[in-house]
Amino acid sequence: MSRDIDDQARLEAELEQARRRLHLTLDAAGASCGWEWDIPGRRLVADARFAEITLQDPVDLAQGVTPDRFFRSIHPEDLKRVKLAVAGMLAGSEVFSKEYRLLRNDGGYRWVHASGRTILDADDEPVKFTGILVDITEQKRITEQLRIAQSAGGIGTFEHIVGYGTITVSEQFCRLFGLHPTRILPIRTLNDLIHPDDERVIDLTDPDGLQNDRNIEFRVKRADDGIERWLARRGEYVDDIESSGRRFVGVVFDVTDTKRAQENLSIANKALAELARESMRERNRVWNNSRDLLAVLGTDGVFRDVSPAWAEILGHDPDQVIGRSLLDFAWPEDIDLVRTEMRKAVENVHNDLEIRLSHREGAPRTISWRTTREEDRVFAYGRDVTVAREQKAILEHTESQLRQAQKMEAVGQLTGGIAHDFNNMLTGVIGALALIKRRIAANRLDELDKFIDAATTSAERAAALTHRLLAFSRRQPLDRQAVDVNSLVGSMEDLFRRTLGEQIELFTHLSANTWSAVTDPNQLENAILNLVINARDAMPEGGKLTIETDNAVFTEADLARGETLKPGSYVVLAVSDTGIGMSEATIEKAFDPFFTTKPIGQGTGLGLSMIYGFAQQSGGHVTIYSRVGLGTTIKLYLPRSMESTASSDEDADANGPTPRGEGETVLVVEDDASVRMLVVDLLKELGYRVIEAVDGVEALPVIEGKARIDLLVSDVGLPGLNGRQLAEMALASRPSLKILFITGYAATAASRTDFLAPGMEMITKPFAIDALAQKVREILNTRRD
Amino acid sequence: MSASTLELDELERDALTELVNIGVSRAAASLRKMVNRQVILSVPSVEVVTRRSAASLIGQRESEALIAVQQQFEGPFSGRALLMFPESNGLSLIRAIVGDEMDEADLIEMEEEALAETGNVILNGCLGSMANMLQHTLKMSLPNVRRGDSALLFETLVNGGEESFVLFLYINFSVRERDIRGYIAMIMDLPSLTNLKQIISAFIERVMMENE
Repeated sequence: MSRDIDDQARLEAELEQARRRLHLTLDAAGASCGWEWDIPGRRLVADARFAEITLQDPVDLAQGVTPDRFFRSIHPEDLKRVKLAVAGMLAGSEVFSKEYRLLRNDGGYRWVHASGRTILDADDEPVKFTGILVDITEQKRITEQLRIAQSAGGIGTFEHIVGYGTITVSEQFCRLFGLHPTRILPIRTLNDLIHPDDERVIDLTDPDGLQNDRNIEFRVKRADDGIERWLARRGEYVDDIESSGRRFVGVVFDVTDTKRAQENLSIANKALAELARESMRERNRVWNNSRDLLAVLGTDGVFRDVSPAWAEILGHDPDQVIGRSLLDFAWPEDIDLVRTEMRKAVENVHNDLEIRLSHREGAPRTISWRTTREEDRVFAYGRDVTVAREQKAILEHTESQLRQAQKMEAVGQLTGGIAHDFNNMLTGVIGALALIKRRIAANRLDELDKFIDAATTSAERAAALTHRLLAFSRRQPLDRQAVDVNSLVGSMEDLFRRTLGEQIELFTHLSANTWSAVTDPNQLENAILNLVINARDAMPEGGKLTIETDNAVFTEADLARGETLKPGSYVVLAVSDTGIGMSEATIEKAFDPFFTTKPIGQGTGLGLSMIYGFAQQSGGHVTIYSRVGLGTTIKLYLPRSMESTASSDEDADANGPTPRGEGETVLVVEDDASVRMLVVDLLKELGYRVIEAVDGVEALPVIEGKARIDLLVSDVGLPGLNGRQLAEMALASRPSLKILFITGYAATAASRTDFLAPGMEMITKPFAIDALAQKVREILNTRRD
Repeated sequence: MSASTLELDELERDALTELVNIGVSRAAASLRKMVNRQVILSVPSVEVVTRRSAASLIGQRESEALIAVQQQFEGPFSGRALLMFPESNGLSLIRAIVGDEMDEADLIEMEEEALAETGNVILNGCLGSMANMLQHTLKMSLPNVRRGDSALLFETLVNGGEESFVLFLYINFSVRERDIRGYIAMIMDLPSLTNLKQIISAFIERVMMENE
């Protein structure tokens, strides 16, 4: 018994060993879960691996079992499916290919793929059903992962075996083409959905050739909704194990959004490029056709680019300008200005400047520039304003000529009035002379003085009038000397009172220590008289007229505001009235010649302008202080004299008996015969010896001769040699010769002291005979000193 | 009747696929005998769709005109069976079957006749086997050949096609190493399809019993 048991135990151990060996052998042999189903015999044989995977006894299966054992361990949910498929096979289906789950010995399930075929007899009846199981659990998991990855990533997969007209695809692949999900698709179906201009997903032009395995992109019109999408294909060739050929395995995914973005970007880029080209063309048109100078400079002032207008305007070819400094082209006088302006152009974003540049042919061109700085570039736009500037100068010149013409016109208008006055005066002279002549003829000499006085008065008035005109034109020579203004005003008081009448009260406030002024006493008299008359006329209803004198000292600081006065000491003479006053506008024009507020015929309008001219020539000034309705004060500033006032003796002398000559010889040069005759006769009568000459040509031999000459009396405005030239030649021959000029009008003699050298004197036409006698005597006396 | 009640469940579709596979396997066997060469037919999928869907399904996939062999069938389920190819594939199939000996002109001349004959073998094999498996018989009419696009073949334009359904099969032919694709469509009205569904259920039940 125990031996039986021992035997049994030994047998079992041997069997176990044999099984293990079998396992190992099977493993080593790579046994493949195969089965063979004898259909008519209703018997199933399977290998050890099949037995193991289906949890069955390998020995039983190796020996043969009933066919229902095929379904052992199949998951209940899969069982019916598998049974149907097997039934199909048994009924004549040729291919068995199913995936299902098998129970594992740990209670879990594994996925297997069963593939089988039937073997038919001569009558095409299936006799055997054979196949193998493959554990695809891992593959299934990966497939599942792949499926999820595909649908999540929108990536469709495909496999194409070279030479096939169909392609194996994933569901996602179909969706990308808008097709019903399927496993196999004709390639043409896909290619027909692809845009004709694009590459095919699989190129069938050479059906047996390899596809290019580049990454390609193509547009498809999706079959379901007709929408065009961009798809990309990526793939590579792998060896196909089943067919020993090559398989192209790849993926397809939607790149529409990327593509559209790219397209939009490309369109935008193109548009931008076109825009840039267009604006470049426009810039070139502007650059090339501009009549203005366009330039691009570095901040170093060197030209980087200039427009063709440079050749036209400045004669410099752009090639000659580019690379050179702005300073090379600046008009030499403007170089410092250009340097300064260039610095400003670099420092500021915008700068306006006007500088002159040199034309290639040497002339300056005035260019008005506007610059714009952007980073390290200065863009300059220049306009040639040379002509405009020249025209402006011409315009200014023309305007001044116009003003002069207007003045002349005014003088012309004035001349009528003056001529009238002058005629009246001449009438007085001529009339008186006629009467005198008649009386002499009738030998009635008793009342001759009356007529002679009348003629003299008229003639003196005429002389005063011409003096005024000369003062107006500022061409009257001033006989400047120290004048005691107080005594001058005092001497005129009687005259003022007569002029003012009874309605106007005259007050004089003459500051006792008023300095002497340097001025022409006659002109000053005239000026004061004019001021008094103006004041009177401003008070038709009567009022108060005040004449004041005082001293004033101005320092630089006092005169800061555009005053024409120079710093220094002045005598101030003020004439105030309580009359109608002047408006601002009137004050502004008060010094203009011929400006008058008086009715036509009552005044020439020369008064104030003459006073103004006189004050300016004296080195002083006139100011007006006035308010409408309140009155006017006019202040006359005259420079202080540092000399002592001329003694009143001279005046006494002037009024004394006419001094006589003492046999001195006088050379008279005068081209006007009547004036010459008058002067010669007078001098002879006064006891001088006289030599006369018409002009310098006649006078020179006398001067260069041996004859005694004590005094040369000469007109200034001689034909040929003028008086001054003649005098200089005379002095060259006779250095001690004294000279007296007679002048009616002498442009160069505006200021007597500038014109006259020492030992020379001047007397202005018309002159009183007594004045001439006095002057001649003075000169000859001086010689004696 | 709504489409949902007509919807085949998974098992029914599997069963139908097996039935079709049996059918096309039979047909392939018949073709093998005709051409004396290896012919493999496979049916990757079976769908029941409306005629309009069937038309668009093919329309989507095929750009060229179709050529079809058509046969009427009558039995527990009746209707019209169509074997369809893109026109060029039809000619390739004929070429594959008759061999390269025949010249092109003759081939074109006899194309329709040859196609009708081939179609008859395939459709008869297919439908006959199915009926046989389902333990019923079908009476088949003589084949005729039609050409046109999918809408024409499914007559969707005639009566809208909403009241009848199509058992739609996509099949791959592999003959003489040529890859030929085609479609089999069985157009049935609603009662026929309902009958078919019941017959399939019975078939499934039988199969389950058999292998217990």
